[in-house]
Amino acid sequence: MTAMKRYPFLPALVILVVLLVLNGAFQPRSVSVAGMTGLAKTYLALMLLAIGQTYVVYAGDIDLSAGAIVSLVNVSVVLLMEHWGGDGLSVLAAIAIGLATGLACGLINGVVVAALRLQAIVATFATSIFFMGLALHLMPVAGTPAPAAFWRTYGGRVLEVPFVFWAIIALAALLTILARTRLALQLLAVGDDAQGAYQSGLPATAIRIKGYALCGAFAALAALCVTGDTASGDPLVGGKMTLFSIAAVVLGGSALSGGHGTVVGSLIGALIIGLIGSLVYFVGTPSEWQNLVQGVAILLALMAGILVGRKARA
Amino acid sequence: MTTLAALATRPLVIALALIVLLLALGQALSPGFASAQQILRLLIVAALLGIVAAGQNLVILGGREGIDLSVGGVVSLSAIIAGNLMNGADAGIPLAVLACVLIGALFGLLNGLGVTLLRIPPLVMTLGMLGVLQGLLVVVRQGIPSGRAAPGLSSFVSQPFLLGLPGILWLWIAVGIVLALLLSRTVFGHRIYAIGANEHAATMAGVPVKAVRIALFTLSGIFAAIAGICLLGYSGSSFANVGEQYMLPSIIAVVFGGTPLSGGKGGYTGTMAGAVLLVILQSILTTLNIDESGRQMVFGATLLVLMLFYGRGRAMRA
Amino acid sequence: MAKLKLSGISKTYGATVALHDGALAVDAGDVHVLMGANGSGKSTLCKVIAGSVRPDAGAVLIDDTPVTISGPRVARALGIGVFYQELSLAARRTVAENICLPDLPMTAGVLVDRKALAARAARTIALFDGVAGDGFTADATVDSLRADQRQLVEIMKALASEAPILIFDEPTSALDRAQVERFFAIIRDLKAQGRAMIFISHRMDEITAIGDRVTVIRDGRTVGTWRLDETDTATIIAHMVGERSEPPGARASRPPQDETMSGPEARAPRDIALSVRGLGGSGFTDVTFDLHRGEILGFGGLHGQGQSAVLRTLFGALPRSAGDVTRGDTALPLRTPREAIRRGIAYVSGDRRRDGVIQGRPILENLTPIHYLRQRLMLARPSVLQQKAQAAVDALNTKFAGFAHAIDSLSGGNQQKVVIARWLMDRPDVLLLDDPTKGIDLAAKADLFALIRTLARDGMAIVLYSSEDAELLGNADRILVFNGGRIRRELAGADRTRYNLYHAAYEAA
Repeated sequence: MTAMKRYPFLPALVILVVLLVLNGAFQPRSVSVAGMTGLAKTYLALMLLAIGQTYVVYAGDIDLSAGAIVSLVNVSVVLLMEHWGGDGLSVLAAIAIGLATGLACGLINGVVVAALRLQAIVATFATSIFFMGLALHLMPVAGTPAPAAFWRTYGGRVLEVPFVFWAIIALAALLTILARTRLALQLLAVGDDAQGAYQSGLPATAIRIKGYALCGAFAALAALCVTGDTASGDPLVGGKMTLFSIAAVVLGGSALSGGHGTVVGSLIGALIIGLIGSLVYFVGTPSEWQNLVQGVAILLALMAGILVGRKARA
Repeated sequence: MTTLAALATRPLVIALALIVLLLALGQALSPGFASAQQILRLLIVAALLGIVAAGQNLVILGGREGIDLSVGGVVSLSAIIAGNLMNGADAGIPLAVLACVLIGALFGLLNGLGVTLLRIPPLVMTLGMLGVLQGLLVVVRQGIPSGRAAPGLSSFVSQPFLLGLPGILWLWIAVGIVLALLLSRTVFGHRIYAIGANEHAATMAGVPVKAVRIALFTLSGIFAAIAGICLLGYSGSSFANVGEQYMLPSIIAVVFGGTPLSGGKGGYTGTMAGAVLLVILQSILTTLNIDESGRQMVFGATLLVLMLFYGRGRAMRA
Repeated sequence: MAKLKLSGISKTYGATVALHDGALAVDAGDVHVLMGANGSGKSTLCKVIAGSVRPDAGAVLIDDTPVTISGPRVARALGIGVFYQELSLAARRTVAENICLPDLPMTAGVLVDRKALAARAARTIALFDGVAGDGFTADATVDSLRADQRQLVEIMKALASEAPILIFDEPTSALDRAQVERFFAIIRDLKAQGRAMIFISHRMDEITAIGDRVTVIRDGRTVGTWRLDETDTATIIAHMVGERSEPPGARASRPPQDETMSGPEARAPRDIALSVRGLGGSGFTDVTFDLHRGEILGFGGLHGQGQSAVLRTLFGALPRSAGDVTRGDTALPLRTPREAIRRGIAYVSGDRRRDGVIQGRPILENLTPIHYLRQRLMLARPSVLQQKAQAAVDALNTKFAGFAHAIDSLSGGNQQKVVIARWLMDRPDVLLLDDPTKGIDLAAKADLFALIRTLARDGMAIVLYSSEDAELLGNADRILVFNGGRIRRELAGADRTRYNLYHAAYEAA
């Protein structure tokens, strides 16, 4: 009971293990190192986006522009790398500017929602239209390739270990530190009772803006992974990711109403979405039925997670 | 003076003022923008959005973070099924309408049951349902050539029917009147507001909270299905995911109409104005000589600016 | 020299004047009591000092230096700690985190120093050692605590600020006596340390026990300040209510006329409106009593001993785990409020914001929901409904401008009257009152009890739970004293004394 309170992602973890076992049963190769690397390579972006979304959800907000930020950073980074010649230094410079872009988008969201006090759902939808338009403006049609130095690193190995695993280790360290910061606790307190937090002397508006900024930064990281995975720029690439990131947060046991949740859960949630997709494929579902089966499975997982989580907490 | 100031902060008044302003702006930018012909065309497009927004409006009014993200999926599914069932023949219209309304009601009912009996947050439930609907779209489309709208349906949407207005506008007006009466003069309407404003107090006052909320989601499914049929009539034939464009705009129309997402206050008259406002805004942008990406940026920025006129959240410091 | 001095404080919300020319001077080492009816402006004045309300005009001086309190953060920096009446807690965070949230101890500037946090929380929690109740630990999340324990956390949060100026806005409303006594001991300590404190309470006995000075606020104006040892209760109440010659509190506490009531033993069984046998539910067991028509049955005892839960269970708002409720030969299942309402049972909660008021909606819509249900109406015709509602609101002296106005435009007391009036459009047989006067002003209380007595005289069966002993002693024909979720004693006739009530309430369970 208390374990459930402290680790609200436990139901998600169970679902994840079941999915891994099922995946292994239907396609033994999927649980090999190569299979895992492939899964991580494809879904690291969604994991990062879901993590970013979690910080916003902590404070009781929501970011419907997260996917649009991914698109914008993806095209910006690819264009900059191409423009600067694609060698190592220009890749790093492009990455830095990409991260700054994500951060700036997050700040805009934060200011619009927290400082101007617009409703998060509609306001971030409006900013998503803006970001998407900007991405389209920068790169009207998909297809500009990313330089080889970039995607070879992402898909390659460092010291015999796939790069994505290093990335996951770095991510784990980053999340551990973030979980112990004042900001994490403050975001949760604001999400619990914004007025109460403000009256307690917390700078509630600044805290919510920081949450959005963090989400923007993680969206930029997600965009880098997307770029590494697809090796090209696509102004629409992030469009579908927003809703999946929210689903991942919910699957991970965080409350959309704020004040309660974990980033680890969201990470697991993103993996669940990925594994459902591959399982539907491995069991041999006819192609035109795959979307439906996947949709039903995600809906059931969302419902099951919420019901189990509630029962365990009660 | 104070009443004038109060009037100026009424969302409906803001929306109407903005509509007039935008029409004038449109006329200035491109003469003929505000012609009767053109306005009629805009209203038809607005009616499609407005009918989806009717259901969205009811769900939002019912509170507890009520929202229906699945309307887009229902619109698409309804458009496809209606097309397949009527396939260009007027004789197929009644069956198509009946089938679509039932399907819309079914998905709305499922949303409502999930939200009330299983207490899944509406955003999550309808988001998951959207995924299911999008999967179903792929299944329904397979192998069957996409059907065409019956001529009767097309003329209902675009040809003058009475007093120079096409049938769809009369339908929209009827929806507006029915909802206005429903919300102000029926026990059901008062109960919608009660559960939206204070669900706990409503329970203690004997309001059948779950039944009301299930009804709201079911109605949302039905309205989305009707909009899907009309959309088929508007475009002639359905294509993949036509309804997606209605998902978030239907919510914005409701907000621009003065119903905050927290529920419990507002109404449908404002939402109708909100739908018209959104459509005119989009239309003005298409008359401007800028490319699609620029239009999107201006649209997004304008939405943000317009939102500043509406129910901004309360300041922390009173 | 005054530690904190306010003058000319004004605040208006739209057309409502919340405060006009408010003045207050609090000395170091003093407990300064603020008194006034609800909506008189006490809380607004406190929130101006706390920085969460921006005054339209006025000056604030701390140690004779003018200060601008532009927000709660600034207030804290200026040495002001606040207990908020509506609490400012994060429900899903732990007790320790809540206590330290305003000023988190840090290592390396970005990470929370968990050790220091635990140590500071432990020091504060230790102040209430032994009275905080079961489950009150530093690691418990606030949502797992009872109402009185949450109030303790809010108190601890204010104390942990170690601020020289402390504001307590109704800090004791949910506390039991042992907790109040411990809290007062702490306050006396703080007095000795020279802290300046502002204290708001509706309980006269607490005010005289702890207060040094009292400032009375009426209709947003500070009427005056007196030393509590140089004045008496009647004078203060007279200042609070203004021109009224007879203090309404006195009327409410007049003992009932026993000779007009026959004792419960004398009643015939057909007079029983509700027969409760072995009722069990959340936090109470084996509750058995008969409720007669025309009687006011009091529920007494310390706060949170199951009284409220019994009433909510009878109304179908909480599940029943054991026992029967019957009327005559019919068993009443009472599984939902709807069922209870159809059986003629009414329930009025003291927590009107949560359980009663439908915020933002017209007064008429706040009056009609029960009528809709009992008459099975489909259509709502305003003119017809208004006619029927008029008598109900008149019975309570409800003051309002029009049925179409939003209920939020009324004062707290009038809002509660509307909530009660919704039950009077179609008379119920049984009226369950769950601390119905919590947080409403004295005049409204008087109107309410006058009505209750009339209703009882007309034959309605009424259960009254009140956290104020005077209300019980003054109005109930019989009092069932609860302790630990069971009825421990029944006080009737001459036994209904304050002494017996306290004695039964404190008896070891």
